[in-house]
Amino acid sequence: MKETPDCERASDLITFLYNEADERERRDFQLHLNECRACRAEVASFGAVRESITAWRDEALAGFVSRPVVTNRKSALAALRQFFDLSPLWLKGATAFAVIAFCVLAAMVFVNLRSNNVQVSPAANTSQAIYTQEDVDRLVNQALAKHTTPKPPAGSSQILVDSRKPKRSRNSSANQFAKRPLSRAEREQLAADLRLLSADDDATLHLLGDRINQ
Amino acid sequence: METLGSDEIIVERALSGDAEAFGEIVRRWERRIFALTYGLLGCEEDARDATQETFLAAFRKLRGFRGEAKVSSWLHRIAINQCISRQRRAKVRSESTLEEDDADSLATPFSHSPAHVAEGRQETVAVRRAINSLPIELRQVVVMKEFEELTFREIADALDLPLSTVKSRLYTALKQLQMRLQKFESRT
Repeated sequence: MKETPDCERASDLITFLYNEADERERRDFQLHLNECRACRAEVASFGAVRESITAWRDEALAGFVSRPVVTNRKSALAALRQFFDLSPLWLKGATAFAVIAFCVLAAMVFVNLRSNNVQVSPAANTSQAIYTQEDVDRLVNQALAKHTTPKPPAGSSQILVDSRKPKRSRNSSANQFAKRPLSRAEREQLAADLRLLSADDDATLHLLGDRINQ
Repeated sequence: METLGSDEIIVERALSGDAEAFGEIVRRWERRIFALTYGLLGCEEDARDATQETFLAAFRKLRGFRGEAKVSSWLHRIAINQCISRQRRAKVRSESTLEEDDADSLATPFSHSPAHVAEGRQETVAVRRAINSLPIELRQVVVMKEFEELTFREIADALDLPLSTVKSRLYTALKQLQMRLQKFESRT
């Protein structure tokens, strides 16, 4: 069956049928329709077909309810992926560089902290684990025992007691003497000074007491 | 009111990272793209899926959109390709799809008055059958014209065809539909 009208004006017919002809074309084809039975019949039958299609369309689209758009329900990862999809190449490169720089910096900080721990912790462990107070006392006693070994047992015990408690000395000179053994001349001088001092002090104290009483 | 450049501006916004911009494109064109896919596929569920696939494909191809064509033409082309590839994948002729779908649509009709359903059901089924039996190149022109009410120029742009080809295809399609519907009427 021939699918174009006999008058070969299919294009004009379609333009007229869908109201896309301008005023001059429309008037021209309207005049043609008055004379052409074939075109008149086609316009009528095509109009009926269009009505059927419109009925189907209205029925079909009446049931259309907008679904949520998938792209709007994005996870953080999807949003990130979208950002990278849409961003230009230079932005991708800059982001990649920033991420790498951050990773390198984080690694450096981690390594630095770890090396500091390695240096500090053994000392702390040593002070805590090796040198207890008892150990210190024992070591001091051993050292003092070495110094006092040649001396007589009675004197050594007295010196040992004095040496163990150096904080009880009232002046620093006494500490200095405690730290090194006195020479013979020093011991004699010290003994003389002590005798003189005690004698003078006693005399001075008696005189002062007499004066106050008077 | 949509302006001519507004779609293109929205696409530019989407390209510059505005996540909501593409959603606006979807809202504007969803119904018309659904009309197109429904007209081409003849099945509501398939049409919905094809519509979503169309927008997902458009979203993925957004960077490739150069603005040479209108957004609407670009979307129509994607939708038509989606429908064609969907039909190829299914490897089912449109006639058999319609036969299955007819049973579904009769079982769960859209909300219309019983009188309308009674009068129009057979006719609309016949129209659907007739349209879906058309070759794809005729069918897409009919659907774009009747469902989306695009102008001949817009259809020509979307399908990348000369204006005269669009008109001649539409004429041929209407002629074939007329014949098929006459056959249906004579049987009933």
